[in-house]
Amino acid sequence: MKVFLVLFLISFNLFAVSPPVSKYLNTTQQKIAIENKSQDSLEDEFDDEFDEDEVEVNDPFSGYNRSMTYFNDVVYTNVLIPVSTGYSEVVHVEIRQGISNMFSNLVFPVRFVNNVLQLKFDNALEETGRFLINSTIGLLGFFDPAKEELEWQAHNEDFGQTLGFYGVGPGPHVVLPFLGPSNIRDAFSIIPDSMLNPTSEYFYDLPFDSSNGIVLNGVFYINKASLHLGEYESLKKDAIDFYPFMRDLYEQNRINEIKE
Amino acid sequence: MLQNSIQGISKSIFAVMFLLLMVSNSANALQESDIASQMKTNIDKTTDLLQDKMIQQEEKNLKIFELFDPIFDYSSMSKIALGKNWKKLSSQQKVDFKNVFTQKLKQSYIDKLQLYTDEKVIINKTEKLKRTRIKLHTVLVGKDQDYKIVYKFHRTKKNEEWLIYDVEMIGVSIMKTYRKQFSEFLSSNTFDALIIELNKNITTN
Repeated sequence: MKVFLVLFLISFNLFAVSPPVSKYLNTTQQKIAIENKSQDSLEDEFDDEFDEDEVEVNDPFSGYNRSMTYFNDVVYTNVLIPVSTGYSEVVHVEIRQGISNMFSNLVFPVRFVNNVLQLKFDNALEETGRFLINSTIGLLGFFDPAKEELEWQAHNEDFGQTLGFYGVGPGPHVVLPFLGPSNIRDAFSIIPDSMLNPTSEYFYDLPFDSSNGIVLNGVFYINKASLHLGEYESLKKDAIDFYPFMRDLYEQNRINEIKE
Repeated sequence: MLQNSIQGISKSIFAVMFLLLMVSNSANALQESDIASQMKTNIDKTTDLLQDKMIQQEEKNLKIFELFDPIFDYSSMSKIALGKNWKKLSSQQKVDFKNVFTQKLKQSYIDKLQLYTDEKVIINKTEKLKRTRIKLHTVLVGKDQDYKIVYKFHRTKKNEEWLIYDVEMIGVSIMKTYRKQFSEFLSSNTFDALIIELNKNITTN
């Protein structure tokens, strides 16, 4: 019995008590060593997340893109922003939000089709429910009772995201006149989306009715800009070199949108 | 032998005490379980401050950074933003860069906050990516759309506290954009030119 007790204590000592202590001391020593070593290379532990600065950006049109970024900047700064600022002073914010809701409601077919194409049937169904409720109870989409009362969210999907969903790469970056940053895939995708978009000029029989689309688009962009005053100027201040900065923002955002 | 085991036990008691000491040492640092609630408190206080018309802008800025300075890891951010260029700097250059980049980040943050009117901020869930990484998902309810904002925390080796090393807005990582810009800038310019460039547009303090 006594022998058993001693054996028990020995085993306790060997396997239960000592090892954790020595293990603990070992790890603290290791930890201190690692800490000392990594005082100056702390970024190493982040490198798995931020290693993309080595990757060359595919940008054969950079010369054109730079000029177009500059052109757009002139248009935004001298036309779009002053006009939408004036508009925001005349039209109350809740009316502007309502107009924005109406546009968004009209673009329902684009979201519906692209959700279906990406096999996101739940989202397509929710979109349909939103369209039915907001078009009727929401007074032609001016209000958004589907979101406020039922918490049915909009699921923005466009054809560029659909192509991305099926593995189509972005291709070279392209800055579009007036519209801003894009890439070959997304720029091409504007065409199929426009055919589903009642606010676009492509939706109407060209060329007779195309002016409707252009006027609607003008209202859309001015109204939208009026809800985002100050954001463009603030972004510009964050950039060291504006064109590659905007290119990076656009491509990062699109990668994320396709992933979702 | 019995003495041996007593020694072992006293060793383990020592270890436990040491452990307790370590834990209590970092007790006032941000803990994993408090990330969401602490951020909610901070963001609520910030939106209250922004809507308070009685306080001067400069005082607001000071108060906002009193809230956020302890949880923003400006040192790690400086290293991340420079990437492989960080190692090439002298220790004085590192200090200079950290100072000016911290100012730049604060300026940019304040600029963004000035766009704030009365939008609601929703704090969603935290997501643990690995032992030392947590993402806090939040949503800013904008006038015509919602913006996903993700605060990325890491656990520091030194104090084992959780600090923010990056913020992601609508899928755009702030640190990635700076890292890309700096690496592009430094491929054709000197480090001193970068410091001069960063000093432009800084008006706070």
